[in-house]
Amino acid sequence: MNAVFFFMLVSALIVLTITAPETAFSVMLAGADKAVELALSLFAVYAVWLAVLEIMDKTGVNRAVNRLFAPLWKRVFKGENEKALEYISLNFSANLLGMGAAATPMGIKAMEQMSRGGEKATDNMLLFLVINATSVQLIPATVIGMRAAAGSQSASDIIVPSLVATLISTAVGVALAKLCAAASKKLAGRALPLAGRLSR
Amino acid sequence: MSAYILPLFIVGVLIAGFAVRVPVYGSFVSGVKQALQLLLSVMPYFCAVLIAVELFTASGLAEKTQVALAPLLNALGIPPELAQLVVIRPLSGSGSTAVLRELIQTYGADSRIARCGCVMVGASETTFYVAAVYFSTVKERKLRYAIPVCLIASLAGAVAACALVR
Repeated sequence: MNAVFFFMLVSALIVLTITAPETAFSVMLAGADKAVELALSLFAVYAVWLAVLEIMDKTGVNRAVNRLFAPLWKRVFKGENEKALEYISLNFSANLLGMGAAATPMGIKAMEQMSRGGEKATDNMLLFLVINATSVQLIPATVIGMRAAAGSQSASDIIVPSLVATLISTAVGVALAKLCAAASKKLAGRALPLAGRLSR
Repeated sequence: MSAYILPLFIVGVLIAGFAVRVPVYGSFVSGVKQALQLLLSVMPYFCAVLIAVELFTASGLAEKTQVALAPLLNALGIPPELAQLVVIRPLSGSGSTAVLRELIQTYGADSRIARCGCVMVGASETTFYVAAVYFSTVKERKLRYAIPVCLIASLAGAVAACALVR
């Protein structure tokens, strides 16, 4: 994230300095403006969902949802505590139902449970990010709405290809994440004795 | 049908909470408090990501990336008309919606281009936004391999989208 951010900012600012230096500042302000707008609209959504989630937490609805998916998530996210698995189940269910706005606060809570407080994110955290960033959703309601509004003959005929495409992207993401996790474990195992030798 | 699910779900949660004597009002308020804290921790990341994206598009670099990627995308079976969407999709949710709307208007809602674009958007997420938000409240800052993995996976989804839509 650090490298990506640095590259985007520096390259864009250099180009703007050459082509239109007077716009650089106003462009940055426009970005911040959009952030305020987005944050406020999301606050409304988070307020409603976190309030409902809090009641679900206290009632035990979470545990009921978790029981449905627990066997699956226990295997995917090895070594995570019960609470983390609960939030992961809720995040996944909300995503499936197309309630992305509800899925986000639950996902953040799952991340908090998985956090070990170190500098580097754990493999489980990254796997969870990859699953969320590749989208798991049964019905892309927004896009169908846009097609219907534009006068499509069969606005919903994208459901099946979308589902297959999102399954493929998630499968590719999970496979790659698992590969990278295994590779970094191997590297760490190899690097340690080497570092030990060097320090001697 | 799906319009009923959401209100019914919330009614169900409220009744279940009341039945097992959860302080519904107090819990609700404490949930909103968490939302307020969440807003405070997420806000700086929104600013950073959105300023970067705004600069990236305004400077014309987004367009250059898209021109540079077009041959590669074409080789993967993604029509050049969709290159812009592929580039903007992981960066900005509202941006990709705008691009998709334009595609639908230009080529028609039932054209292959528009349908490919719809599947692409429907089957993917705003990668950078998700990464920033999900890690906004934890200490971990190094995402190691996550961003490249997400981007490659999204590209695989886009390739699949164009292969699936005839």
